[in-house]
Amino acid sequence: MDAYLIPAVDGVGYGLLLFVVAAGLTLAFGVGDVLNLAHGTLFAFGAYAAAKVSDGTWLSLALAVLVGTAAAAAGGAVLSALLVPLAGRGHLAQALLTFGVALVVGDLLVGLFGPDELPVKVPALLDRPVDIAGHSYPGYRLAFIGVAALIAVVLYVVVARTRVGSLVRATVDDRDMVATLGVNPFMVRTGVLAAGGALAGLAGALGAPIIGPGPRTADLVLMLSLVVVVLGGLGSIGGAFVAAIAVGEIQTIGVTSEVTQDFAPFLLFGAMAVVLSARARGLLTSRRSAA
Amino acid sequence: MSILRRLTPLGFPALIVVLLPMAWVLDDYATKTLTSILVLGLLAASVALLTGVAGLPTLGQTAPYLVGAYTAATLVRHDVSIGVVQLLAAAAAGALFSLVTAPLVVYARGVVVLMITLALGELTMTVAGRWKSVTHGTDGLLAFAAPAPLPGLVTLDTDRATYLYVLTVVAVLVGVMLLVLRSPAGALLRAARDGEARMRASGHPVAGYLTVAYVAAGGLAGAAGSLLVTVERYVSPGAGGFDISALVLLAVVIGGATSLVGALLGAGLVVATRDWIASRDWFGGSMAGHAPLVLGGLFILCVYLLPRGLLGKRTAHE
Amino acid sequence: MQRRSLVSAALAAGLLFAAAGCADSDPKSTSGAAASTLKIGFLGSLTGTYQAVGTDLKSGFELYLATHDNKLGGHPIDLKIADEGDGAPTAVPAATKLIKDDKVVALTGIVGGGSVAAVAPLLAEAKIPLIGSNGRPELKDLSGVWTTSFMSTDTGQSIAQYIKDKVNGPVYAIGPDYQGGYDQVGGFTTEFLKLGGTLVNGKATFTPFPTTTNFLPFFSQIKASNAKAVYTFYAGKAAIDFVKQYAQSDAKDIPLYSAGFLTEGSVLQAQGDAAKNILNVCNYSPDLDNEENRKFVAAWKQKHPDATPTTYAMASYDAAAVLDRAIAAAGENPTPESINAAVGKLGQIPSPRGNWQFGPKTHSPIQKWYLRQVRNDGRALANVMVQDLATVGA
Repeated sequence: MDAYLIPAVDGVGYGLLLFVVAAGLTLAFGVGDVLNLAHGTLFAFGAYAAAKVSDGTWLSLALAVLVGTAAAAAGGAVLSALLVPLAGRGHLAQALLTFGVALVVGDLLVGLFGPDELPVKVPALLDRPVDIAGHSYPGYRLAFIGVAALIAVVLYVVVARTRVGSLVRATVDDRDMVATLGVNPFMVRTGVLAAGGALAGLAGALGAPIIGPGPRTADLVLMLSLVVVVLGGLGSIGGAFVAAIAVGEIQTIGVTSEVTQDFAPFLLFGAMAVVLSARARGLLTSRRSAA
Repeated sequence: MSILRRLTPLGFPALIVVLLPMAWVLDDYATKTLTSILVLGLLAASVALLTGVAGLPTLGQTAPYLVGAYTAATLVRHDVSIGVVQLLAAAAAGALFSLVTAPLVVYARGVVVLMITLALGELTMTVAGRWKSVTHGTDGLLAFAAPAPLPGLVTLDTDRATYLYVLTVVAVLVGVMLLVLRSPAGALLRAARDGEARMRASGHPVAGYLTVAYVAAGGLAGAAGSLLVTVERYVSPGAGGFDISALVLLAVVIGGATSLVGALLGAGLVVATRDWIASRDWFGGSMAGHAPLVLGGLFILCVYLLPRGLLGKRTAHE
Repeated sequence: MQRRSLVSAALAAGLLFAAAGCADSDPKSTSGAAASTLKIGFLGSLTGTYQAVGTDLKSGFELYLATHDNKLGGHPIDLKIADEGDGAPTAVPAATKLIKDDKVVALTGIVGGGSVAAVAPLLAEAKIPLIGSNGRPELKDLSGVWTTSFMSTDTGQSIAQYIKDKVNGPVYAIGPDYQGGYDQVGGFTTEFLKLGGTLVNGKATFTPFPTTTNFLPFFSQIKASNAKAVYTFYAGKAAIDFVKQYAQSDAKDIPLYSAGFLTEGSVLQAQGDAAKNILNVCNYSPDLDNEENRKFVAAWKQKHPDATPTTYAMASYDAAAVLDRAIAAAGENPTPESINAAVGKLGQIPSPRGNWQFGPKTHSPIQKWYLRQVRNDGRALANVMVQDLATVGA
């Protein structure tokens, strides 16, 4: 059992990283009603910012996080503007547009930063193993778990306890009702895509030493976030949290045993497909149509 | 009514008539390229069938495509050398796969279908990579023996022969599909797409119709997989990767989701553009490998400028 | 709508001609007069996961051309470059274009074993020889296939005796789950077991490929298994992840031995101090003391002042050298067949790695392998030569 302590802890860390990213996607989909297939690209903004700006000092780390988050938030806002001409065209057109943007921007990132995975420098204090119950664990990851947990708590407080949060929850439950409150839908969508982007960028900048910037990063993060969002209930931040931790644990503990090693990838995508279709059958009778 | 609209009933036979003599007009390399375009075009037609006609936008037709391709490759490696047999087996495998996975897909609508089929596509690619005893994993299956289309005919040793075989298969399959869609079956499918609540209220088993369409599309994709093996003589999990799904979806978007012929044209345009960009020495060769940029740009342009693609028809969703 | 039908008609009309017009309109290569220009095809990963290796292969070949007046065997060379991408789906169409459209007389490069396997039948059909400089899978028909890199099993095999001598206890062997991984790690485990060594679990562990980016769970297992050393092979991003995580994991104090690719090229810079002291085996080291290497490194540094040459670049440089000698020996009008025959008759090839020659059974180098260690070499980290290991090849 002792050999599973580190993987379990690591799974929490990975899960928290996925949660912060997926929370952004959940916001976009649940509130903004947009399937943002460029979400992984926004994560990549944060990761590249960390690789290029962070040089081992705490100040540069803070700057990297700031730059990454701001760039991704701006990206989200731009996406919202790009979607304006598609008003009334339906979800498929919007999803396709974000997909095209993801392809283009992804290629530009590779053109700008090169085709290699970029290394990320972290402050020396964190760049060493720390002792957990007699085991060694990378210091940065432990610190990340702390910070990501804090972000998760803040998110919860904002969504559950503030006015903005209640608007968010209300929109997920009944979009049309909220529209009657006189809130400008374009501003809501822009705000949500920017906030979602900011979360992705933040996750990217902080999580770059764990999921680094490279040509495959955007696809990987998009795929995993989609799995988390779907398993978590397509609009529920709390659900996304539980799903993210579960996915994180599957990815870490799941690979250690030879028995489960083969099933881990199937587990994720299989669960996603099953949950989606089960909900789809239920969704047919509920007010909120996913189409 | 635009010129294209008027020509549409003639469109498909005309397309075949134009493509047929290409076997003698073009050189070996262009013939091989056109053959690959036709294979992808058949896959795109199956995507169009689901996305445009049935109303189920899909990123997962690469799944039955891979199933069909591996089936055909395995047959080739076991010395089954008749092309039509490989084709039928692959189509059956693809259809069976779709039959099994249909309950996951046909109850969802809109972008949710995109996500489910994406998951299915990824899952299938993962299985192809891990089931080493059957698929040789990520190293892929080499299937080098050229088939003879029918018992008694010569084997497809030249690029021209392969091209004609693929063209014939695509012409027959797409032609049959077009005829079926012109029949009451097609009308039922389009009605289910446009006015589902009304159909359901009239007692139509919408899920049943969609399942039939989904299985048919699976068969088409499986057949395309068999053609892939005939042309490339090799299959690996990468042949059904996300980038292929994206390419094919783009072809359908450009061609017009509701039109199978549009899907063929779209496939041609997309593949030709991608290969052409890659082969030109623009900017000192630096454009090579920037296919995603071009494809993404095409995607965006299409979504803005050609909402219904080249040949798509208006649907109730617009 | 007017605009729409105009746009549609224009696009549709141009379509088939665009497809047909894909054919390059290069003049056919003349293989008549002496010193005619010859077309050589280079296929390598210029995009995707293996871009770093593919670019190195390209640089190595181009360096040889640049330092030899752009001539091989006395003939000016028109190097046609195509992108292998991530594997067969991109490699096969690219190779087809080189063979049918550009009509090259020989093909070189190719990063992935899977790409070689898929392209080999095309080359055999067209009777074009392959002077491959990296990937090398199991092939049945070797008559037109030559590799200047190595057989994947050679790497591990050459260090097995050294590890058996130095390590007093079981070794944990780990690698990626695909043919390349099996060959690299398997080369070690087969020889090691033959020499009487013990492996943890009696066999190697293979991690899901290419999806594994987090090796910490495996490191916990390694620690728990009481292994006295670890032998591994990874390349590219996986190598970066492996090394960086190893240094901060439970396994950090267990000596790490590896195939040289774990710390070769750009991955070493990305790994930084985490890679220090890793003992690795490679068929080349930039600090080898011979005439050819001095010339090679000097020329390389002129072109690429910020980098040291890798074994990938060196193998591709040698591929050009092989073609240089073979074309010269193939007479006045070299054809693909005569070039292929000439390669088979080449003897010792002087090379930056030391002299080597093609093994008659494998068409792959019979060469010496070197033990290197990652150390500070001046201001930067480098793979520093420690000692010779075995000479392997057949």
